[in-house]
This record gives sequence, structure tokens and C-alpha cells, in this order.
Amino acid sequence: MARDSYDDAYARPVRRLLVAVAVICLLALVMLWRIDNPRVERMRAAIVDRVVPNMEWAMAPVTGVARIFDDFQSYARLFEQNQELRRELQQMRAWREAALQLEQENARLLDLNRVQLDPELTFVTGLVLADSGSPFRRSVLINVGARDGILDGWATMDGLGVVGRVSGVGERTSRVLLLTDSNSRIPVTIQPSGQQALLMGDNSQAPILDFIDAREDVNPGDRIITSGDGGLFPPGLLVGQVIATTDGRLRARLAADLVRLRFLRVMRSHPGTSLGDSGDLIGPPWPLPDETGTEDSPAQDSVLPEEARLGNSSAAQP
Amino acid sequence: MSPATSSSHIWTYRAIFLVLCCIIIIGRLLPLGLGESGLPGPDLLLALTFAWMLRQPAVVPLLSIVIVFLLADFLLQRPPGLWTALAVLASESLRRRRLQMTEFPFLVEWGAIAGAVAGMVLAERVILWLLMADLPSLGLSLTQGIVTIAIYPVVVAVSKYLFGLRKLGPADLEPL
Repeated sequence: MARDSYDDAYARPVRRLLVAVAVICLLALVMLWRIDNPRVERMRAAIVDRVVPNMEWAMAPVTGVARIFDDFQSYARLFEQNQELRRELQQMRAWREAALQLEQENARLLDLNRVQLDPELTFVTGLVLADSGSPFRRSVLINVGARDGILDGWATMDGLGVVGRVSGVGERTSRVLLLTDSNSRIPVTIQPSGQQALLMGDNSQAPILDFIDAREDVNPGDRIITSGDGGLFPPGLLVGQVIATTDGRLRARLAADLVRLRFLRVMRSHPGTSLGDSGDLIGPPWPLPDETGTEDSPAQDSVLPEEARLGNSSAAQP
Repeated sequence: MSPATSSSHIWTYRAIFLVLCCIIIIGRLLPLGLGESGLPGPDLLLALTFAWMLRQPAVVPLLSIVIVFLLADFLLQRPPGLWTALAVLASESLRRRRLQMTEFPFLVEWGAIAGAVAGMVLAERVILWLLMADLPSLGLSLTQGIVTIAIYPVVVAVSKYLFGLRKLGPADLEPL
């Protein structure tokens, strides 16, 4: 109580000044955040980088205990779960047979076409350290960062489907914005109709599918994959399935299990090929070097189609 | 000097306050509630700060509030500094009115807290709207405010019976 019982005439104004200075500094920080967002977000990443890995010793046991508790709860439903798993196993056997056949067929076809699968699509695996801690944000923190070569914007997957993309990289940690976050927008393709759409998170479990060209071509149960538009994501990563909600909107049930995120794969994507210039005329280089060149090249040009025509006709004759 | 105003008591409780705040922040960061999208949890940090400050103002100095809330702002992905500034303003205004509240029953204190929290939520929205930053949905932030107000008596009970933090009245201020 030392502060309250000082001489009021002296302590009150000093304290008020202190509060005013603190509030002004804090509001200045907010303004700075609003004006120079990238710099402050880098600062935030640095602070998270410093603090969160140090908390790991405290967080690991608690997380572990909580997970054990979760598992323990599931024991209560052991019997029905067992039945369910048996049923699913039965179905899976059938699927496995189908998949094996398809795999063989696919291998044969790839062999026929001499297709090179993309060798650059490798991944780094990271462990989930923390979540965003706020009901308004959906993101997780993983324990790989700039040290491991992670870049902003890379796609992350769990074993099955896309989870989100890297947004914010620290030295040892990076933040993954989940597809369900209200700031997440990614371009997707809906198979088999091939419709393009935008997957927009809205803080719920199932993100909205919007900007679809022909709604009538899209049915619940269709597969959603990333389209790779804008060079943001590698194309063809599985996202989930289309579901229709009661209000007539199309949403996506994600293939990734966002409730039980443990390990994440960060896909090393290479910058997509982009068309830098508009198309050029195909022909001799322009402007032409000198007069003699102009006389030569049309002659050559005129010869070429002639030869081609001759070649065609000669090939056609026998 | 009564035991509750001795400097060792004050410093002990200051340390306990910081430790509790760290535990709350770590709890929020744990990757457990990933899938839940129902009710947002209460802002325990705010409830704890107000409860302790109205009990014994000396154990929650301005510096503790700034450090704890700024750390929370940075770690929990909020606009850095905004919630801290509002918390400082609200706690200062409550601190000034504290002595009048000590004589009234708990309900009056609860009402004052409710007013402060509602004011903070509204002020945050207005400022974010003025800055044209992206706003969280109104329903979610209001729900969080209401849940925080609802949890306040629990926080008070825990600090009173578990941590032995009793309310200092005007009589305790006299001796020094």
C-alpha cells in the first residue's frame, strides 16, 4: 500500500503521468502495427521464437497428459468403436484391392508415357508446438523455421490432406495458417467436373467453397484438390470433399484431421512458372541485322514450307 | 503495519501473480483445443488482474499489467498493445474507485467489472474499426466478454480461499 499512502498531492499526478505515458506508448505500438505491419509481425515472430520453444518443457507433459486423458475417454466407447473399425476394415479391403489394381495400371500407363513425376516436391516434417490461443484465429506453431529453409507461403499437409499454409517464419518456429482461419483463401479445383473455386475459411470446421462457375456441376462428395493457380500451392494436393449444408451453401469437409494435428509436412514448393511477356512473333530476329540478311532469310523461309510439303507428300505416297 | 501490507507479502504476491499469468498464457497456447469452434473461453488474465487489483492493489502494479498483457498480445496473435492499453486504462479507473467499492457488497463490484469489460470490448471494436483492421465477429467478442464477466466470481473465490487474498479496506491503509 506504499503507493496509495504517500502524500496524495505528490503521488497522484506522478502516477497519472506514468499511466498516460504507458497508454500513449501502447497506442503508438498499435499504430505502428497498423502502419508497418510486416515489421511488427516479424517482431512478433521473433518473440514467439524466443518464448515458445523455451516453454516446451512445461507444455510437453501437460499436452501428453491431456492426450492420454482423451485416449482414455475413448476407451469408454471401445466396443462400438471396435465394431465400427471392423466394418471399415471390410470396406478398406475392397478398396485396397481396387487400389492395387489401379496402381499397377497407373504404373503401366506412366511407363508408356515416360512421365517424370515432379522431383522437386519434397517436404520437411515439423512438430506442432502450440496453437493460436485465441478463439478468433486458427493457426498452429511448428518447430521448423528459417533455419530449416522454410519460406512464407508454402503448403503444409498432414499425412492425407492440406492443412494450411506457412504465414510467418521465425528462426526456429513458423506459424501455419489453417484452412479454417477466416483469413485463409486458397484456389482449388473440384474433381471430376474440373470446376475452379475458392476455399474460404470462416472459423468453422468446414470452410466455404465460393466463386464456383457452374454450381450444378458440383455434387456433394466430389473431391477437392488444390489448383495451383497463382503459383501459391503445388497443384493436385488433396484438400477434402464437397458437402452441402442445409442453407444450400457448398462447404468442404477437410481430409486433414485438424483436431488431432501432431506432425505437419511442409511441402517445399518451387516458384510456379509464370508467363512474363506476351507472345512474340515466331520468325527471324527483328529488327534484321542488315540488307543481305533480309534477302537471305525470306528465301530460306520460303524453302522450308516447300520442303515440309514435299516431305509430307513423299511420306504420303507409299 | 498489518501483515497484508508488509513488503515481503506484497513481493510474494507479485511473484505469484506473474507465475499465474504465465500459466494462463501457456494454457491458452497448448495445442489441445484445435478443433473446437464453439464458445470462446473466458479471458482469465483480465478477470485475475481485476480481482487481485480490487483485493490488494499493491500486488498488481502497473508494470506487471503492461508486461503480462503485452506478452499475451504478442503470443496470442492479437493487435499488439491495444488490449494492453485498454486493460491499463480500465484497471486505473477501477483502482481509483476502489475505496468506494470496499464498503459495498460484492454485487456492486461485479457490476463495475462488468461495465469495465463491456467497455473494453466495445472500445477495442471501435478502435479496430477506425484503424480499418480486420474485426473478429461481433458475436464471438461479445460472448468472450460475457463469459469473462461470468467467470469473475469464481476467480474471486479462488483467490480468496486458495490464495488467501482478502480485501483491504480503508482501515488497513491507515497504519503506514
